[in-house]
Amino acid sequence: MQSNFKPSAATMTAMMAQTKDLELVIRHVLAGLGHGLHAGRERGAGVEFSEYRAYAPGDEWRRVDWKLLARADRYFVREAERDSHVATWLWLDASASMAEPSREINGVDKLWFARTVLACVAAIAQRQGDAFGLVVCSGGKVEFTQASRGPRQLQRVLAQLAKAKPEGVLPSAEVLKANLHFARSPSLIFAASDFLDWPSPLSEALLRLRSLRHDVRLLTLRTQAEVDASFRAGAAYRDPELSDGLHRLTNADRDSYRQQSRAHFDAVATSCRQNNIVHYEARIEQPLGGVLRSWLQLAGARAK
Amino acid sequence: MLSSYPFWWLALPVLLLPVWWHRQKRQRLKAEPLATARFLPSAAPEQLRVWQWRDRLLLLVRCLMLVVLIAWLAATIFPWRGDTVLLDAGADKTWAEQQIAAAGMGAAQRIELPPHGLQWLRPHERDWRPSARLLIVARADQVAMPARVPQFSHQVEVRAKLPTAAASALVPAGRHVVLAGAQEQGGPWRSLFAAFDRAGDGAIRYTLAAEPSAKTELIVWDSTAAPPAGWQAPHWWLTSATAFPELATASTLTINGLTLKYADSPRGRLWLTDAWPPRDADTARAIYEAWQQLNAAPAPAYPMPSQTLAAARSALPAITDAKPATWLALALLALFLLERILTHVRRN
Repeated sequence: MQSNFKPSAATMTAMMAQTKDLELVIRHVLAGLGHGLHAGRERGAGVEFSEYRAYAPGDEWRRVDWKLLARADRYFVREAERDSHVATWLWLDASASMAEPSREINGVDKLWFARTVLACVAAIAQRQGDAFGLVVCSGGKVEFTQASRGPRQLQRVLAQLAKAKPEGVLPSAEVLKANLHFARSPSLIFAASDFLDWPSPLSEALLRLRSLRHDVRLLTLRTQAEVDASFRAGAAYRDPELSDGLHRLTNADRDSYRQQSRAHFDAVATSCRQNNIVHYEARIEQPLGGVLRSWLQLAGARAK
Repeated sequence: MLSSYPFWWLALPVLLLPVWWHRQKRQRLKAEPLATARFLPSAAPEQLRVWQWRDRLLLLVRCLMLVVLIAWLAATIFPWRGDTVLLDAGADKTWAEQQIAAAGMGAAQRIELPPHGLQWLRPHERDWRPSARLLIVARADQVAMPARVPQFSHQVEVRAKLPTAAASALVPAGRHVVLAGAQEQGGPWRSLFAAFDRAGDGAIRYTLAAEPSAKTELIVWDSTAAPPAGWQAPHWWLTSATAFPELATASTLTINGLTLKYADSPRGRLWLTDAWPPRDADTARAIYEAWQQLNAAPAPAYPMPSQTLAAARSALPAITDAKPATWLALALLALFLLERILTHVRRN
């Protein structure tokens, strides 16, 4: 389509939020985005040829061996011998507070943003040949998807991500502790949450993982309205996770709201800095690709 | 006449019902979820019970519908009375029972005959079912003979008890007249009122007196002096205007060949003419006729004899009168449809 129409970032985000097809979004976001989660030795598919594998849906066409197709009249994919030692864990917070919608872009909420970013990370990990797994914290429970490699794993993870619904509270400390056994080998942990509870069992678990020499990278999601305190005044508000009654917002309360939330997220950032955790704070109205790049670059900067 | 049943309008307080429904207290329980609500000051538990108008349009339509319904009920009359005896309370009981039995209306409902029964019947005839018969049992002088045969859509039978001979010596109505002034002038006045007594079949008797009382209807002041202060009567006949300054602004009236001047004063209405006291019989007759025309009092009613008035009309005048009821019924239907539609719209 020959068109000079270039949608604005907000329109683009809204359009992406409309689609249910995470892969489409991933392809769009990752187009032109530099690969790389960590300073790996491998340089992509087919560096050291190991074997041919039958083509499976989801494989990239460029990895199909066309000469072999001409000879065998069947599609084969060149598999490279890549054995990354780094497992990537995607940690999605799907508690009720993640349903907080953007008050500016229709259809975008924190959970969508977190899910999409993590899906992109998963896609990058898959391209890079890393094993990746998924942890979804929702409704007081922890759902695991074991770490594995390959396109099928990506499908699995994307399906789990798409399935996640914002409900309930974060899992308790006991539940988390019982589920922390996954991280034996050194791994990368990408956690996306609103981190409104800090310290919390989740934060303690992440700090614990960090102390176990895992590379923990946090993405704190906020909305523009939360940053500006530009909620509608006069309405009554309630916390979706705490049942502590109603809250009000008058124009006089905006300053104190800004101060309190700033103080909270500053505390989160300080805590992360002290524990050498990568922490990136994003608003869900920002372009998703930009947020992803900045988050990854932040980690890359530390890795050097 | 729109309504014979104005008591339907007493149902108007029913309007308070939809008003009450639409003005419910509403509790504010709605709160938007906000993830960062913890950074906001907590509000006191909202027991905000606010009187609130809801769906004003619907309320308006409902109120209108009720008003129209009441108006329609008030304008619409369902005939509900069957055979009825209109009984004069003053009539002789035994005679009345005889008459009722003779007419075969022993089982009929009995109601008291209102004054001016036949006139009363005309607007109230719609109350009776088409097959109903009416019997009026009354003393003769309680039902006045109308000038024309009344047209009813029901059979109306009148049974009047003619007064007995002793009672039929009619007690004439009395008129109290005060003659005052020059006594030598009294002669012509007395003969005038004596002639008045006899005129009109002697139905009215004129009583002459020298001092006015509460009953006095006319004071003949045949003098130039001022009358005593306390004297009052509806009418004054004067022979001279000197003592009555009100006559300066008198209106003039020519009736029956007589030129009368009259004016209203605190004492009563003052009449002045050159014609009285009359000097001959023609003048007296002219005065009598003029006075009969001026005097509003009607002649006593001629009693209606017993007779049966057949149903003369097949259609009730109610049909023409009921036009507003038709329109109201249509309006009611339209409002009802509107109300249903609005309710449906509100529900979705």
